[in-house]
Amino acid sequence: MSAEQDILQELAGREYEFGFETQIEMDIAAPGLNEDTIRFISAKKQEPEWLLEWRLKGFQLFQKLTMPNWQNFKLPEVDFQGVSYYAAPKNKVKYNSLDEVDPELLRTFEKLGIPLEEQKMLSGVAVDAVFDSISVATTFKAQLHELGIIFCSFGEAVQEYPELVKKYLGTVVPQSDNIYAALNSAVFSDGSFVYIPKGVRCPMELSTYFRINAKNTGQFERTLIIADDSSYVSYLEGCTAPMRDENQLHAAVVELIAMDHAEIKYSTVQNWYPGDKDGKGGIYNFVTKRGICKGKNSKISWTQVETGSAITWKYPGVILQGDNSIGEFYSVAVTANKQVADTGTKMVHIGKNTKSRIISKGISAGHGHNTYRGLVKVGPNATNARNFTQCDSLLIGDRCGAHTFPYIESKNNTAMVEHEATTSKIGEDQVFYLNQRGIDNEQAVNMIVNGYAKEVLNQLPMEFAVEAQKLLSITLEGSVG
Amino acid sequence: MTTVTRNISFNEALPALFSAQFSANGWFDGREAALKQFLALGGIPTVKTEDWKYTNVVSFFKNDLQVTLPEVPEVTAAQLEATGLILPDTFRLVLVNGVLQPHLSQLPPASQVTISKLSEAGSQPAVELYFNQSPRIGEHHFAQLNSALFNDGLFIEVKAKAQVELPVQIIHLYAAGQARLFNPRHLVVVNEGAALQIVESAAGIGLADKVVINSVMESVVAERAQFSQYQLQTGGNNLRTINQNLVEQKGKSVYNNYTFTLTESEFVRNNLNISLDEERTETHMYGFYIAAGGQLIDNHTSVDHRMPNCESNELYRGVLMDKSTGVFNGKIYVHEDAQKTNAFQQNNNLVISPEATIFTKPQLEIFADDVKCSHGCTIGQVSEDALFYLRARGIGEAEARNLLVKAFAFDITAKVNIPAVRKQVEQLASQYLNA
Amino acid sequence: MLDIKNLHAAVEGNAILKGINLTVKPGEVHAIMGPNGSGKSSLASVLAGRESYEVTEGSVDFLGKDLLDMSPEVRAREGLFLAFQYPVEIPGVSNINFLKTAVNEIRAYHGQPPMQAKAFLDMLKSKQKLMEFDANLMNRSLNEGFSGGEKKRNDIFQMAMLEPKLAIMDETDSGLDIDALRIVSAGVNKLRSKDNAFIMITHYQRLLEYIVPDFVHVLYNGRIVKSGTKELALELEEKGYDWLKEDIRLEEPVQ
Repeated sequence: MSAEQDILQELAGREYEFGFETQIEMDIAAPGLNEDTIRFISAKKQEPEWLLEWRLKGFQLFQKLTMPNWQNFKLPEVDFQGVSYYAAPKNKVKYNSLDEVDPELLRTFEKLGIPLEEQKMLSGVAVDAVFDSISVATTFKAQLHELGIIFCSFGEAVQEYPELVKKYLGTVVPQSDNIYAALNSAVFSDGSFVYIPKGVRCPMELSTYFRINAKNTGQFERTLIIADDSSYVSYLEGCTAPMRDENQLHAAVVELIAMDHAEIKYSTVQNWYPGDKDGKGGIYNFVTKRGICKGKNSKISWTQVETGSAITWKYPGVILQGDNSIGEFYSVAVTANKQVADTGTKMVHIGKNTKSRIISKGISAGHGHNTYRGLVKVGPNATNARNFTQCDSLLIGDRCGAHTFPYIESKNNTAMVEHEATTSKIGEDQVFYLNQRGIDNEQAVNMIVNGYAKEVLNQLPMEFAVEAQKLLSITLEGSVG
Repeated sequence: MTTVTRNISFNEALPALFSAQFSANGWFDGREAALKQFLALGGIPTVKTEDWKYTNVVSFFKNDLQVTLPEVPEVTAAQLEATGLILPDTFRLVLVNGVLQPHLSQLPPASQVTISKLSEAGSQPAVELYFNQSPRIGEHHFAQLNSALFNDGLFIEVKAKAQVELPVQIIHLYAAGQARLFNPRHLVVVNEGAALQIVESAAGIGLADKVVINSVMESVVAERAQFSQYQLQTGGNNLRTINQNLVEQKGKSVYNNYTFTLTESEFVRNNLNISLDEERTETHMYGFYIAAGGQLIDNHTSVDHRMPNCESNELYRGVLMDKSTGVFNGKIYVHEDAQKTNAFQQNNNLVISPEATIFTKPQLEIFADDVKCSHGCTIGQVSEDALFYLRARGIGEAEARNLLVKAFAFDITAKVNIPAVRKQVEQLASQYLNA
Repeated sequence: MLDIKNLHAAVEGNAILKGINLTVKPGEVHAIMGPNGSGKSSLASVLAGRESYEVTEGSVDFLGKDLLDMSPEVRAREGLFLAFQYPVEIPGVSNINFLKTAVNEIRAYHGQPPMQAKAFLDMLKSKQKLMEFDANLMNRSLNEGFSGGEKKRNDIFQMAMLEPKLAIMDETDSGLDIDALRIVSAGVNKLRSKDNAFIMITHYQRLLEYIVPDFVHVLYNGRIVKSGTKELALELEEKGYDWLKEDIRLEEPVQ
């Protein structure tokens, strides 16, 4: 048996580090989806009438909409009636302080590397921790409050800042956008809400950590970030789930709104449970993320490192409405074993002098399939629109696949759009060169892959860049080509 | 009933039209199945069909479109001459409404090439082997429609090792008194070690109304054979063209396709599918289109790399003026066994008018790891730096722009190996760009 | 021939040239030197009429006419030639076709008939020989796939063909090896006459060993801060630019 096969075997045996389950008493809604489920969730969260109405409208749309058929993978049958749409640790609907939180829960987050006591935390990062359907804790709230920054769970925002929520909810991703967005708007549980006031530069990274724990549930969180005139915020989300044989659904919606001169940087390190080596279990990560550069000179930048999930299916996009606005998308997606990723972005140029930049790095190993799907659309009034897209695929092993579907539509003759794509494998000569300098295969592949992904990893806040590099290494462990 | 009327859709009318005239026409017994497949695919595709997302043809199949077996009117040598399509130094095959006209043609030597009407070629072994066998033919709505309705076309078979010295020009002429649908059908087989170049041109003769040409050509390039196909789409303004070119390449063969769309007709859609069935093949695809007025020019190409060590190379360029629309979709599939594939694809578009639209989608699907594939596409204007350079040398701005647009085109026409073709294309391109 | 007075220019609102004064007479060779970012190449671009540069103040008289009022091609036709720092590649435009167009447009501007093919070819051949220019490069696309040295030589060859009155050479020596430098310089020297003039923009003194200037100017922070003869270039080579910067700082009024 060759060394390569040895390593491949080792890969097959690797453990998902975050696959444990927290034993805690849960308050779980009975499986099933109907109007009563929605009323139940809304009541549990003590929501105002208008939000219940909004949810019910989402449910109606969900019933009308059909599953898309353009994706480059076999869409699994999802039994929407077999899933429970609300799961929360018992006793509390809302925690007023960390003292009220079950110590088992705090230990869970600590085990995940996310301690919620502020003194233990990475300085400069505020965290909102979401456990199944509810937010457990939000750190550094008081400090942020002094600057007028609102950073809290979505549920809390509905109670405390209903006007803001009402004004912006569903304005970027309409409820009717797609069937999963409609589903989310009907049953969304918790998530984060951020408002940065005019002229404020948020002094720390804001971050949400999502954890699916309960069996037979899905997670349907909603995040809404509003950056008012001349403000800045950098936001990061991370996520994990226990190892289970059955698939679980994660259908989130994220909406970003940047006003004049505002900038939002949104980074994702996605590490949901990917399923085992035979493709059993794992999360279906079907997410709708979109930002709008509403104001002039605004900027929205998406960075994503996608290493987990059985299927990742999402296209974080930017609507470039304000003149001179900028949209960016930086992505590394890794698929190993039998993972599938169909991801990319939509850049819609509406305003004048708008610019977009897309850097996508796909890495396919094992039987993994990686698809880049993107849309660059230049409207008739988007004078001097500019787009540059670089979309590269790296293949490791001969049973994986890399696919590229870029849609480019231009209705303006002053637009300049450039798309480049390459596909390659890890060069034997590169590995040999490193071997010859005393570096083993494993390490060599890590180095090459990290080098390949560097342009994207560089976009992440420092602490998370290191984390993301580690994740890449773990995901690809042993996949030497 | 011979026409589609205002009250009934083409898809609904088709079965009755089919049984009235086509079901028992000629030697081909797959018509019934093709009709079924066409209807199973949904009939005439709408913009909801991914491959027709930007190209709406539904309106072409309405309003009294004649769907009958075509009559073949007499065309004189003078009428042929008047089309201006005749190229010097070529063999020539002239077809009227899909039917070969020997009296207008100059055939290559029978010792090298077998040429006959497809309607009379049913007993040819090559026809039995290859006719209607192209991979992916079942995916094409219009190829299925053609299989159900075709009347005639060409059968060309080049004998093994025969090197046909002069290019064979095929001139397709269409004559009709009213709107009607033509379904010409051709099969070209270039046997082991043989070499053939064909140049296709089309024109309408006294067309009173717009006609739809739904053409299918299947080609087989056998081991070590070489086949070059030039399509000069320069026909007049009453032709609406839907063109299927389905090519299979065997080991060590070379296939070159040149598609030049420089026409006044309002609509051209080309589907070029190439299947690389054996190892060590080489494929080049060059396209150039100028769209003006309200024209829609749509090129869909696909290359299936099925076996190792094959190379494909594609370069399409377009210039979009006025209110025209350009569509480009290039697919490269690298199948699991196709290691050591080299596949390159490039699509560049110059958009000259503020009202022109371009949709482009270069697409890769790769299932093997030891491959070199790249694609790129650009949408833009002439380079400001180049423009300044020329102006700094004393060349006026309009002239400099013109020079750069022509340079953009001539980069492609420079790949043409037949001088007369190159000259014709460059003249036409200049003429359109100067207009 | 050329009279630049108090020339100010900006790119995207940033002032680049801040009051240049320079007079060039027929037969003269001027060298403009200066550290990186001092505005040397910007001056060349402004004189040739690059549109991204906005002249905010001052005037430029070229052979009795207002240069700033002319489009780039009219400046070229009037006899102003820019040898580019980075000559562009234009695939699909053959070198020869491009030159013929340029020559004839310039002739037309001066009321002359287009050159006959034979006469043009003869001129081409003689200039090729004069400039030691590889005839094989003529049939290729304009600068496409040329090495850095070949592009520069092609520019100098074009200069020979177009016979300008004033040639501005923007860092023509950068990226040239010693042989190419020698050939380029020899070409320029052959073209020198009492009727034409040259402005050589360069970072190094090296080029000036081959093409000896009548005047040397130092450009710094958008202004000519020192002028002299060829000895100034030697001094700069020896001491660098820092001593000049010191001097200038002392001269600038305290704010």
